[in-house]
Amino acid sequence: MAEVTSVAETRPSSHRFRRARNRVPVWHLIWLVLAALVFIVPIYSVVQFSLTGVQAGQSPFHWYLTVFDDPMFRSSFWLSIQISLETVAVSLVLMVPTVFWVHLRLPGLRPVMDLISILPFVVPPIVLVVGLLPFLEKITWLFVRPEVLSLIYVIFALPFLYRALDAGLRAIDLRTLVEAAESLGAKMPRTLLRVILPNLRAAIIGGSLLTVAIAMGEYTVASLLEFSTFSVYTYTIGTSTAYEGVALSFISFIFVWGAMLSLYLLGRGGRNAAAVAITH
Amino acid sequence: MATIELRGLRRTFGSVVALDNLDLDVHSGEFVSLLGPSGCGKTTALRIVAGFEWPDAGEVLVNGRDVLGQPANKRNMGMVFQAYSLFPNMTAQHNVEFGLRVRKESHEKRAKRARELLELVGLGTAMDRYPRQLSGGQQQRVALARSLAIEPSVLLLDEPLSALDAKVRVQLREEVRRVQLELGITTLYVTHDQEEALSISDRVAVMSDGRVEQFGTPAQIYNGPRTAFVANFVGTMNRLEGTVVSSEDRVVRCGPVMLSVPDPTFNHPAGETVELFVRPEDISLELLSNGNKPAPGLFDGRVTSLTFLGPVTRVGLATDLGPLLADVSSAVALDLAADTVVAVRLDSTALRSIAR
Repeated sequence: MAEVTSVAETRPSSHRFRRARNRVPVWHLIWLVLAALVFIVPIYSVVQFSLTGVQAGQSPFHWYLTVFDDPMFRSSFWLSIQISLETVAVSLVLMVPTVFWVHLRLPGLRPVMDLISILPFVVPPIVLVVGLLPFLEKITWLFVRPEVLSLIYVIFALPFLYRALDAGLRAIDLRTLVEAAESLGAKMPRTLLRVILPNLRAAIIGGSLLTVAIAMGEYTVASLLEFSTFSVYTYTIGTSTAYEGVALSFISFIFVWGAMLSLYLLGRGGRNAAAVAITH
Repeated sequence: MATIELRGLRRTFGSVVALDNLDLDVHSGEFVSLLGPSGCGKTTALRIVAGFEWPDAGEVLVNGRDVLGQPANKRNMGMVFQAYSLFPNMTAQHNVEFGLRVRKESHEKRAKRARELLELVGLGTAMDRYPRQLSGGQQQRVALARSLAIEPSVLLLDEPLSALDAKVRVQLREEVRRVQLELGITTLYVTHDQEEALSISDRVAVMSDGRVEQFGTPAQIYNGPRTAFVANFVGTMNRLEGTVVSSEDRVVRCGPVMLSVPDPTFNHPAGETVELFVRPEDISLELLSNGNKPAPGLFDGRVTSLTFLGPVTRVGLATDLGPLLADVSSAVALDLAADTVVAVRLDSTALRSIAR
């Protein structure tokens, strides 16, 4: 009987303990609501503004439809997508083997890589591009093609992709995995493709999406080199028609959200949670 | 099955000498452990055999052929690592199949071999599990199966059990030995755990400062340590310091006590200072009634500590020879307490002498 009583007595206290542990303090909720408002209010204002200024009889989504009907929107959007994908491809081809090799064989170079990777943060884009122009102008066939933007954006994306890959590689026992694969007879390319890259999935996706975001949103260089990218188009429209400009901004939001959602969904299946967290 | 010969291996890291002219012969089908403290060079030696490190000098012969010119992926050696090394993106089955996939074996052969090996290590029902769904012990079993899948000429294990808890470690080391005996594969095993090395090896190489201090069967290592390092490192030893009184009669004076050392390897001139080693289990105790003197050949001691170890209790003693440890049956130890005065008997046949 004594045992039964003691069990019965412990239950309510353990429930109380659990309730107390799960209770969210009021101040936390207030800060949460305030933080949410900081994000929600501007977005709500953008959406509301983009639905105004419409004449009687027109669709409330008039400005969105106008934007979608504009051939310049489609061409600039696809140009930006093309440049983004090229930037991602060039960045990954350059960075994945480099960061992998530095981690595996040249760990002493990691501080140097860290330093190089933050240079695009330190040097303003305009300074960088003015410095690059004399060099790029000499490669005339490239200078007139939008691919030149991809090459410049690779530099801009360097800090983000490097950090993501660095975090991803730190999260796995790289040396042991490589040696295990080698002891089983695998050469380095197979080890990289079959063992390392699948375990860097989340890091690669995270870094790639940030690269896409940078390439899609970059204005200064694209404008200077006179390419009509999505950001240049958005700015041009915004200066002439405010409603269309704001509608375009919201479309950009949706694009970025979609990209982040795919990151979440793809990363959820991955096993490199730490890398995702750092990439975010 | 293959033989391994290490000839004059030397490896330095800056000013640190990791291996200092290391020589070792491993016979075909033999299970040899490299045993030593951290930094003694045992893992470096294993990694050189595996092809992950290169020596500054020396040779590694497998079946009489020098393999140092071959990269790790051409040596056909199975390796199990200290860290969990399963590929996280692959199931247990695909991990085991990896080496066979590299060798372009057919799907059917790969699947059959993976099933056989996972069943051999007791994980036939966990083939579809990812490493994150397996316990540490299960992961190391899969790693063992994976290393055996390629039918390696030798099996290398680098402290594969050190990350596991004590009970799993004992269970798994027996399993490693069972699998090794079943396949008859030449095995080189690195560990710092003396119990592990002594319990599963055919021979043990005790290493210190990049050299092999002693290489022999577990019984030879345990019962006949040849150096003070081996005596101190393997098992628990009582160390007595004494002076040789008679070389012919092998008599040593330790404090006020004269000890006869029947050790056949005793070869020290009179007057030389020697170290005598005796294990706690070779010391027995007898209770002394109040005021009684110990019988001839025995000397008295006072109990200073009692440590319960299950079937035996380790008794700390203060004696004229200095502090000693004795292992007595736990049932006998019930009569002992701190400051109990006892008569101490040394099994002189178990005394080992090493010159200082």
